[in-house]
Amino acid sequence: MNGFLAIYRREVLSLWVTPLAWVLLTVFLLLQGAIFYSIITHFASMAEVSVDTGPVQAYFGQESIFLLMTLLLVCPALSMRVFAEERRSGTIEALLTAPVTPASVVLGKYGALLTTYALIWLPTLLYVVILRKTGVVDWGVVGSSYLGLLGIGAAYLSLGTLMSAMTKSQLVALLLTIFLEFGLFILGVGEYIFDPGLFRDLCAHVSMMGQMEDFSKGILDLRRVVFDGTVTALGLFVTTRVVDSWRWG
Amino acid sequence: MIEVSNLTKDYGTVVAVRDLSFSVGKGEIVGFLGPNGAGKSTTLRVLAGFLGASSGRVRIAGHDIAEAPLAARRALGYMPESAPLYPELRVAEYLQFRARLKEVPRAKQTAAIGSSMERAGVAHMAGTVIGHLSKGYRQRVALADALVSDPPLLILDEPTAGLDPNQIREVRALIKDLGGDRTVLLSTHILSEVEATCERALVIDRGRLVAEGTIEELRARQNSSALNVRVRDPNAAAEAAIGRISGLTLRKVSTDDASAERRTLHLSVGDGLDTELAIEALVRALTEAGIGIHALIPEQASLEQVFSELTAHEKAGAGLVRAGGER
Repeated sequence: MNGFLAIYRREVLSLWVTPLAWVLLTVFLLLQGAIFYSIITHFASMAEVSVDTGPVQAYFGQESIFLLMTLLLVCPALSMRVFAEERRSGTIEALLTAPVTPASVVLGKYGALLTTYALIWLPTLLYVVILRKTGVVDWGVVGSSYLGLLGIGAAYLSLGTLMSAMTKSQLVALLLTIFLEFGLFILGVGEYIFDPGLFRDLCAHVSMMGQMEDFSKGILDLRRVVFDGTVTALGLFVTTRVVDSWRWG
Repeated sequence: MIEVSNLTKDYGTVVAVRDLSFSVGKGEIVGFLGPNGAGKSTTLRVLAGFLGASSGRVRIAGHDIAEAPLAARRALGYMPESAPLYPELRVAEYLQFRARLKEVPRAKQTAAIGSSMERAGVAHMAGTVIGHLSKGYRQRVALADALVSDPPLLILDEPTAGLDPNQIREVRALIKDLGGDRTVLLSTHILSEVEATCERALVIDRGRLVAEGTIEELRARQNSSALNVRVRDPNAAAEAAIGRISGLTLRKVSTDDASAERRTLHLSVGDGLDTELAIEALVRALTEAGIGIHALIPEQASLEQVFSELTAHEKAGAGLVRAGGER
């Protein structure tokens, strides 16, 4: 696991000494700020508010489509360079000839992406702090919402890591990831379109919006966690096999 | 240190290395020589564990690279061909990352990084961002990376490519200095590099080993060697005298501009004839004929000639016999 820690630290360092993470952080916070502001003004203008809804629930739940759209931009951009860049510049040769296993390479890189993703979300905690000044905040709901976001991010970044390992071009990795994740997102929208039946159930099961709606109400549905975990594990497993396969290229 | 037996590596339909066998002993500095595209980099990448062999076995420091890849990779420091580095990191940060990756004990890391930078001549660049370094310095950082875990075996893929003559001299001196307690295998397509740094060379062409041996052995492989004799000879009697010695053939006669009496005879010594014995017979024949010898210059077979003979594609069949070894 020595290799894992070294790679993890190098990746986090590289992400934050280059502009990428900062650009993503800025764009992300601008978008989140705009979304949050419009939700707050919306609630402020409402005469009456029902018991189980509020700005926090709306931000993470009912209105989560906006939030997920920004993730469809941020996650693929975060993961696109992770392997593609190393393969294009040739640094992968130095990396893979060190005494490390493909699994620690993949996990180290992925761990760094997930950490950066969490760091990008961190400033949004301020929104909740601001809300607390004017009202009551259900910290359980806040916790479960962030857990839901972490799950979605973990799945998205895992798929992005896999796509980045499939190509030497960052642009191709970005497009493939957006295509894949947008497809997954759209599949979830099917819940509201199709007639009741197996296909609709399937759509509901993979729906990212459905997941955020549940989690923002404090409902920790194990099926959602298992789904996110499965996508993450599958993506990382296949990535490990891809990295291993380069020896035979 | 390195034992390679029947190594073959193909990329789909293209066979890059075929049936390659050689070994490198402890403490040797061995040059891996061949024209561009001969399969040098592919072979070194297999040895370093970056590529898998299609067939054959490779043992590094006693560890089979297929069965114990991590143990094998721990024993070696590898410098890839184009010295790829992370441009966003500082030199010291990069080497710190590499030291951690190569499992240098935490307590020894600072000293290991310091001494590797010192040896590679980049100590004064420790705080510089790699992206701002010149090609020569990047090459040296990659070399420092290969040295940082103080491995018993160094595999360097074209360590002097892209350097200026001063830097080349420094790197060669460093490689010579590293030998002794370490084994070094370096690839190059520059012959003088092998002559300057290596004790032994492996010559590879189109994926096959065409020759191996010490520099002297390789030099001796030239099919025939040459002699130049400068004589004072107004009557062309020397030519007749030389004609009587079997195995010596006169290739060319050039006359001195200043005096028509002085000529230089360019001779070649035939196969199977000892050059030294030929010189003896030649001198005797010329003195008996009463011809004054001004100079006798044996033409040293240059490695360039041997190399081009070995790797000439028309003569591929002739080059397949090894110099000092058995098949």
